[in-house]
Amino acid sequence: MTEEGSDIASPSDRTTPTIEAEGVVVRYGDIVALDNLSLKVSKGAVGLIGPNGAGKSTLIKSVLGLITPQAGTIKVCGLDSVTDRMLIRDMVGYMPEHDCLIETMTAVELVSYMGGLAGMSKDDAMPRSHEVLDFVGLGEERYRPIGTYSTGMKQRAKLAQAIVHDPAILFLDEPTNGMDPIGREEMLDLISRIASTNKSVLVSSHILQDVEKICQDVIIVNGGIAIVQGDINTLLSQAKGRYRLKARGPPDSIKAFLQQLKGQYEIITVSEDFGQVTVVLINEGGSNGIFDRASLSGVQIRSYVPDRITLEEVFITSVKEGSR
Amino acid sequence: MSLNPIEYRPWEGKRTDSSNRFMVIASKVFRHKLESKWVLGLLILGTFLTFGFSIIFNSINSHEGLTSESMASQMGDGLFFIIIIILVSMICSDLISEDLRSNSLVLYLSRALKPEGYLLGKALGALMVLSIFTILPPMILAIATTATQSGDDYLASISVIAQTLVASAWSTIFMVPIGLMISSLTPRKTYAAVGTFMTFFLLMLIGGILSSFDQNWSLIDPTFVLSRSYEVIFGIDMISGINGGLLALAIGMMLVPPSLFVYWRIVAKGVGK
Repeated sequence: MTEEGSDIASPSDRTTPTIEAEGVVVRYGDIVALDNLSLKVSKGAVGLIGPNGAGKSTLIKSVLGLITPQAGTIKVCGLDSVTDRMLIRDMVGYMPEHDCLIETMTAVELVSYMGGLAGMSKDDAMPRSHEVLDFVGLGEERYRPIGTYSTGMKQRAKLAQAIVHDPAILFLDEPTNGMDPIGREEMLDLISRIASTNKSVLVSSHILQDVEKICQDVIIVNGGIAIVQGDINTLLSQAKGRYRLKARGPPDSIKAFLQQLKGQYEIITVSEDFGQVTVVLINEGGSNGIFDRASLSGVQIRSYVPDRITLEEVFITSVKEGSR
Repeated sequence: MSLNPIEYRPWEGKRTDSSNRFMVIASKVFRHKLESKWVLGLLILGTFLTFGFSIIFNSINSHEGLTSESMASQMGDGLFFIIIIILVSMICSDLISEDLRSNSLVLYLSRALKPEGYLLGKALGALMVLSIFTILPPMILAIATTATQSGDDYLASISVIAQTLVASAWSTIFMVPIGLMISSLTPRKTYAAVGTFMTFFLLMLIGGILSSFDQNWSLIDPTFVLSRSYEVIFGIDMISGINGGLLALAIGMMLVPPSLFVYWRIVAKGVGK
């Protein structure tokens, strides 16, 4: 019996990255899956989002050492993903998106089996399996074959097998896939609780509200490149100073009003719907000037509220800009 | 089902060395296979039909000692081969196909386990089960025959026991790579089981037909190759007309390409191809 990974660097704070990728290139024949990708993953929950085929799964497989990049390096807690892949895999828990459970086994059998494969002794694996199954909320069902489980129960079992060996880094691929709203909330709560124990949890999801809810950081991948990465709050605070204005009035008055606004403010979007014009603009100062101009132009302002930007908007904007 | 409000607790135990983890797979396969009543039934029935009578007969009848010829003849029996083929088909059928069907291969390979460790674990588990039939009964027969012999040349008998051990271990290993290869070709264990049996059956059939042109064509037949291997191991004369080089080539072809193929399949599946 040996203890592995004792010399592994252990980042002490959220600013020290646990995963660092630099200029990673992965090609499948002529298809470029990762194109000079560079990113840093900190501790806590980090969202990994991107359209289908963006390179998310390839990135996870590269970190796990299942794929060897043609160029670039990936460091996990200071370990190289190619030369130290076995040490890295002992530090990583992976919850795949698709069905991957052995259906003839019970959850307790599967989780303890996976614990054994992750290096736990028999004496450790069984009590630990019960502990993590308690944690994920699988009660007596744990003694039933997995083939009889609902989708939500399978997701819990998948999470349990990923955390049984207490990995420092967790990859969760679509963790709430197919779950009902209550189950989804519970899964997000579980992920938050795991992330709060000084771990890196990389959550790949198409449900951006989930990512927004539980992640501190986000990485948006498109075309094999990390086009956006950083703190979610910082990204969403791009809306600071953005206001959504709705106004009605005669067409000529509206036209004149818009001309005045364009001269004074940065206009993001203008749209018209049944005679009502909606303008998204940047206004760092007060609102009096806008109301005065509306009054002089003969335009009635129906609403003037701060505009809220969502992760979905950040995602769509980034992907569109990235593909131009 | 609802969330238990317990907190996540870290695990602080020591990990085993990653190079030994194939044993976890091997012991799982072994226990799982012995829970199958069909495998267990065939092991018992096969042992009784192939060696049971001989063990009883040799123990109660007077004999001078254990001879290489008698053991080679006993192990070269057609029924012994047929039961090995059926057992290999049953044991190997779901070893890889089931992991392909359930996509659980990713669970293995995302842990500190190389594809060769995964395969070694699966193969070792299959060999452990198969050895209950291929090693235990011949060894019991050899030991029982030696224990009840009337002659006093125990040294000769013990050397035959050692040869029997090598021959029976060889019987265990010989057909498993083909079984694993067929299992890696399909996600359905039934197809894998039937495919394995039919592969051996067709090779036997083709070898039998072509042997009318040249005796060496018989080396296509795995059971023929195994029989000739016994003759080499027991140090008795091989039947005339068989080329030793071609025998070695046939053995290599039945072991190496299937092993390489199944390794390639696992590596390819591991990266999602």
